[in-house]
Amino acid sequence: MANTQTTVPLFVANQVLTANQQNLSAGTGVPVFATTVTRDAAFGGSNKALAEGQLCYIEASNVVQYYDGAAWATVGPAAAVTSGLTCVKAETAVSAAASATADSIFTSSYTNYLVLINYTTSSTGFLTIKLRASGTSASTNYNRQYLSGSATTASADRTTSQSSYDPGFYTNGDYKASLRLEIFAPQLAQATNFISLNAASPAGYSPINMFTTGNHSTATAYDGLEILPASGTWTGTYAVYGYSKTV
Amino acid sequence: MTMKINDNGTDRDMTADEIATHEAWVKVKETENKAAAKADAERATAKQAVLDRLGITADEAALLLG
Repeated sequence: MANTQTTVPLFVANQVLTANQQNLSAGTGVPVFATTVTRDAAFGGSNKALAEGQLCYIEASNVVQYYDGAAWATVGPAAAVTSGLTCVKAETAVSAAASATADSIFTSSYTNYLVLINYTTSSTGFLTIKLRASGTSASTNYNRQYLSGSATTASADRTTSQSSYDPGFYTNGDYKASLRLEIFAPQLAQATNFISLNAASPAGYSPINMFTTGNHSTATAYDGLEILPASGTWTGTYAVYGYSKTV
Repeated sequence: MTMKINDNGTDRDMTADEIATHEAWVKVKETENKAAAKADAERATAKQAVLDRLGITADEAALLLG
């Protein structure tokens, strides 16, 4: 490249400088090297002695470096920040729908997913989840265990071989509920696990909570999700995120 | 009756097939919920029967098991 140099010359008294030497000095305030190898070879000997404060640019890695007296350190640019969560389904508004579907959201790019839902239900049916493959929802083999708290009463139960996974308490048209659902490896041809936390207020602003875990035991790869109440309709928003697999 | 679906972000009316599938599932869900409620009620009845035999309340039983 035009700025690449292989030496950092040291001129001596009364030396006659060539145009090329002067152009090089004038054109590159920070010496540019192809690699760290050519950088190291460019200092010392008959060239400029390497000393603290020396700057350079490395073409191979596109970084600016400085010498701290003992070693080269990189000024920048900083390494790209890898996001821990990537939105794979933008926040979607749902209004008085009996069902909402999101297809082609589970891919090999991510293993585990987070679904966030704010909702109200029009009736007393739980908000439920089904996995989908190629636009068809699976309606068998859901199993769940829940632990719920309402005022001073705690309750727990397990249901198996159900037609949906039921993590969201109904609101019956009242205050909006929120659901955090994590889905583990739905895109792999193996059983899929769920973990969910639900905050609901089916009677005014008196909150209840429900912690639910479960699985879909069918060993099928799924690419989508259906969100639907067991009765009536639901209104709200949902978004889906993939958890990064790399640092 | 018209039923709405949010199909991958687009609101539309359900097709006849989708309505039939949905209504069939709702009936299955009602059956599942009734079975779960019945099991809950049977557990509560059995629990109360034991408490009655022991002559203590549920709170007292909780204290004993604490």
